[in-house]
Amino acid sequence: MKAKAIKVLIAKPGLDGHDRGAKVVAHALMEAGMEVIYTGLHKTVDDIIRIALQEDVDVVGLSIMSGAHVPIARKYMQKARDAGIDDKMVVIGGVIPAKDIPQLKKIGISGVFPGGTPFLDIVRFIRDNLTHA
Amino acid sequence: MTSLVEKILNGDEKSAARLISKVEEENSGAYTALSRLLPHTGKANVLGITGPPGAGKSTLAGRLAVAFADSGRNVGVIATDPTSIHTRGAFLGDRLRMKNAEKKKIFIRSMAHRGYPGGLAKAAAGAMYVLEGLGKDVIIFESVGAGQSEKGLFLLCDTIITVFTGDYGDEIQLLKAGLTEIGDILVVNKADKPGAEEAKKDLEAFSSRVNTPGDWHVPVLLTRADSGEGIEVLTDAIKRHWRFVAESGKKEQKKKEKLGLLFIALLKEEFWQRTQKRLKKNRLFKDVLSDVRSGKTDPYSAMQKVLDSLGTTNI
Ligand SMILES: Nc1nc2c(ncn2[C@@H]2O[C@H](COP(=O)(O)OP(=O)(O)OP(=O)(O)O)[C@@H](O)[C@H]2O)c(=O)[nH]1
Ligand SMILES: [Mg+2]
Repeated sequence: MKAKAIKVLIAKPGLDGHDRGAKVVAHALMEAGMEVIYTGLHKTVDDIIRIALQEDVDVVGLSIMSGAHVPIARKYMQKARDAGIDDKMVVIGGVIPAKDIPQLKKIGISGVFPGGTPFLDIVRFIRDNLTHA
Repeated sequence: MTSLVEKILNGDEKSAARLISKVEEENSGAYTALSRLLPHTGKANVLGITGPPGAGKSTLAGRLAVAFADSGRNVGVIATDPTSIHTRGAFLGDRLRMKNAEKKKIFIRSMAHRGYPGGLAKAAAGAMYVLEGLGKDVIIFESVGAGQSEKGLFLLCDTIITVFTGDYGDEIQLLKAGLTEIGDILVVNKADKPGAEEAKKDLEAFSSRVNTPGDWHVPVLLTRADSGEGIEVLTDAIKRHWRFVAESGKKEQKKKEKLGLLFIALLKEEFWQRTQKRLKKNRLFKDVLSDVRSGKTDPYSAMQKVLDSLGTTNI
């Protein structure tokens, strides 16, 4: 049996139109040996759930710059439970004030990476916290 | 894995996605599941799309997927992107180009190529059977886009579309790449760009192989995958080709060939895996390898020595 490559979905939920950061993170994860899918801009939470399910990714990374990270995270986790894919690791990056991090963790987000987080920290977090079956 | 098969046959996407992952991991349980799915397969129309990087394969695949879905077909897409030979990572960017496909009942799976020869990932055949088990009756493969030696595509697809653009180069490039040899339908995409008409003429000249009457005549079509122009003509040509392979008996013949080739490919892989495991524990192999590295033995004699020691029985 082969070791599974880590498969990551980088998703852009909602209305904000900036995806430079998302693309750069996608590239960094790829350089770290992961298989990365990027959704493109303006995806609904339903779209993202469907993509994560079909692609059977290990990690879903939500990139949010609009300030709506808390409601989006809540909505995502609810729908992930409904779809039966709440076993996948969810991380969030983007414009995230430090004061919101505890709340995001409580909602079920595993890792929060505000803009400026070194890529290596993200890579290490994913590697260390994935529990591969 | 029994319930997984049943769930897939009942149309459960999540189970299908999981089984495809297990096939990618080469999980032996996954192979058992596949053999249980196989009796439910073989009826889908399978389409392969190949062509040079950036020609518009994914955009076109997305358009075709939506067009077939709109006409009532149940569509699955398996898109392959290259794996970096340095990092083993991959950027799976095909899905992003398949606009509107997300809204329909289309199942898209992105696959890293992982260096498997033949333009598709090693798990491609298995993934196809999973999607057929899920009820998909049109399956579209996008190859990694190398162009040459797309054996995997040949093996799995009823119909191959090769996508070109106006700036492929000149006729020599065309001959070298051998790309015109492998399409049942040739498409010049980006018809809005200069050179497209010219490319169509070149391709028509090169694709008119010496056909015997009753043979398939390879059409050359202009499209604009970004706006959707020419897609209808293309889907008509695809359907014509499906009828052609069905009526000429080619589909039946190929289906049998397919299974034979798949069997050999699986066996070859398994033999190698097992041999590798044996070699890792083999003292002589280690010694010979270090002799080769230090220049004491040359690779050719080394190979002979190890083969002799392994013998041919008991693999
Ligand atoms: N002008 C023009 N651009 C197009 C057309 N079709 C696709 N494109 C654009 O061409 C670029 C590449 O398209 P893709 O569909 O990703 O091409 P591809 O062959 O799948 O690329 P790889 O998978 O990377 O080899 C995208 O920016 C598309 O929007 C077309 O008909 N005209
Ligand atoms: Mg593509």
